[in-house]
Amino acid sequence: MNVRTLIKYWRTVLVVTEMTLRMNFMEPFVIFTVLIQPIVIALLGLWMLQGRGAEGAIFVVVGSGLTGLWSSLLFISGNSINIERWIGTLEFLVGLPTPFEVIVFGKNLANVLQSLGAMILGYLIAALFFGYSLTIEQPLLFALSVLFTVLGFVSFGLVIAPIFVMNPGVQGWQNAMEFPVYVLCGFLFPVALLPGWTTPISYLLPPYWAAVALHGTSTGGATFGQTLLAWGMLVLFSMVDLLIASRLFTLMLYKARADATLGLE
Amino acid sequence: MNAIEVSHLRRVFKTYIGVIRRTAKEVVAVEDISFSIKDGELFGLLGPNGAGKTTTVKMLTTLLIPNSGTAIIHGFDVVKDAQEIRKRIGFIFGGERGLYWRLSGIDNLRYFASLYGVDPDVSKKRIAYLLELVGLNGRGNEKVGGYSRGMMQRLHVARTLLHDPEVLFLDEPTIGLDPVGAREFRQVILDLQSQNKTILLTTHYMFEADALCDRVAVIDRGRIVALDSPSGLKSQVRDMSVVEVELFGLPEDMLEGLRRLPFVDSLSVEDHDQRQTLMIQTARGAEAVPDVLTALGGLKIGRVVVREPTLEDAYVRLVGGHA
Repeated sequence: MNVRTLIKYWRTVLVVTEMTLRMNFMEPFVIFTVLIQPIVIALLGLWMLQGRGAEGAIFVVVGSGLTGLWSSLLFISGNSINIERWIGTLEFLVGLPTPFEVIVFGKNLANVLQSLGAMILGYLIAALFFGYSLTIEQPLLFALSVLFTVLGFVSFGLVIAPIFVMNPGVQGWQNAMEFPVYVLCGFLFPVALLPGWTTPISYLLPPYWAAVALHGTSTGGATFGQTLLAWGMLVLFSMVDLLIASRLFTLMLYKARADATLGLE
Repeated sequence: MNAIEVSHLRRVFKTYIGVIRRTAKEVVAVEDISFSIKDGELFGLLGPNGAGKTTTVKMLTTLLIPNSGTAIIHGFDVVKDAQEIRKRIGFIFGGERGLYWRLSGIDNLRYFASLYGVDPDVSKKRIAYLLELVGLNGRGNEKVGGYSRGMMQRLHVARTLLHDPEVLFLDEPTIGLDPVGAREFRQVILDLQSQNKTILLTTHYMFEADALCDRVAVIDRGRIVALDSPSGLKSQVRDMSVVEVELFGLPEDMLEGLRRLPFVDSLSVEDHDQRQTLMIQTARGAEAVPDVLTALGGLKIGRVVVREPTLEDAYVRLVGGHA
């Protein structure tokens, strides 16, 4: 999929996003993954770091939101195609004139946007229950970082979803992939605390760059150059992911039509 | 002009047997079928379970790639021009799946209208018109999860008509509907045909095919065994009569014995809980009744009727009584 396709189908993407959001808010698993779990993490983090002041609190709020983003990407966006197959809508979606990856893009966008809600709730918890008066140090840069994060996560989701469809064995590792990424990407504490050999792994993960941008601009702990680098990496990863996703979707759909695996029968 | 042209279409499925020593087995679902459907024609595809009807429909709707052969819809190839075909066709598969139960009927339609590329201004009017057409007017704001099976089927029809397709594929659309719902649904199909839509309908119900279809292809074990108008198919059994016997408990060995009787052309059995209806096609008509009753000696017998053959009898004869 390329940017031109997205522009052509922007209205469709918005409708898919709206409908997915509506359905997600009626799904207990989604509510737990994108809201309850990050809130629990935020509560625990804020309680453990009570002595660290507002800077520690904003780190936890943003970090817990990032855990929600990653879990949502892994479990909900990652399964977005399989879920359609399980409920019997996959054949109808593939048989439509709209490119299937546009539909999955819209679904992933919904999943990412709703995960940002956890960050807002975390912010409210820090203010209401812990009495913090939190401020985003670089609000404009933070807002742009959110934008690049959304793009990065949605694009990454487009790569993961077809991989999970084509390789059920990889999907079996979903649970094992959740917590290590929290750690390796520095969601809840800086990666500088980890052994040096893990750093290159962090660099290869788009959520790491999202964490650098969001933490850096919210706490004011990053220079503009560092933020710019994080944005650049997020854009680069997004472009590469979209390119890979385009190939993966073509391959997946051809394979599904050849092997008769669009339906469940 | 032909809307659909199918030529030597073949599709094989691979299945695997065994856990430790997995061996591949090939099942031929569709074997060298060819037919064409004219613009505006209502064409029926009949056959027993596993005959290849749904596989054929899925190949024509671009959801399955054929192993060989070609299928052309309005000049576009189902493999090479899938996107072009998807703009021009609509399809439904029987059953409740394929809708978003947590959304209302209107939201389902709004969602699919957007995916079909229907302009939002047009889609609002179109959705209202289609809800009226399928008899869901006033129920569109309810969640689909609360719909009856018949209502879901109607919503499927509305969904598939959103972009006003030229060609429709209806795969067992009345399966599981109550008699009133099925009758109303058949009227919807006739209304669609009157709008000059080309329709391919698969069904198990012979009276449905008889009432609706211009032409019918009977498919059995992946091959087309007959292709004609319903009256043409019926004429193949015009020299026959059907002896219907109502029974209570018919042993398998007795059935085999009946099958071997010289005057029996073909037979089939319909189960109705504890009661069965045995249907024997024979050229001897009423004269065969005493011999049939003798062969059924000892069984509790209810009503015995001799009647003219129907399309179903022609079908049973064509598929060898294993329908």
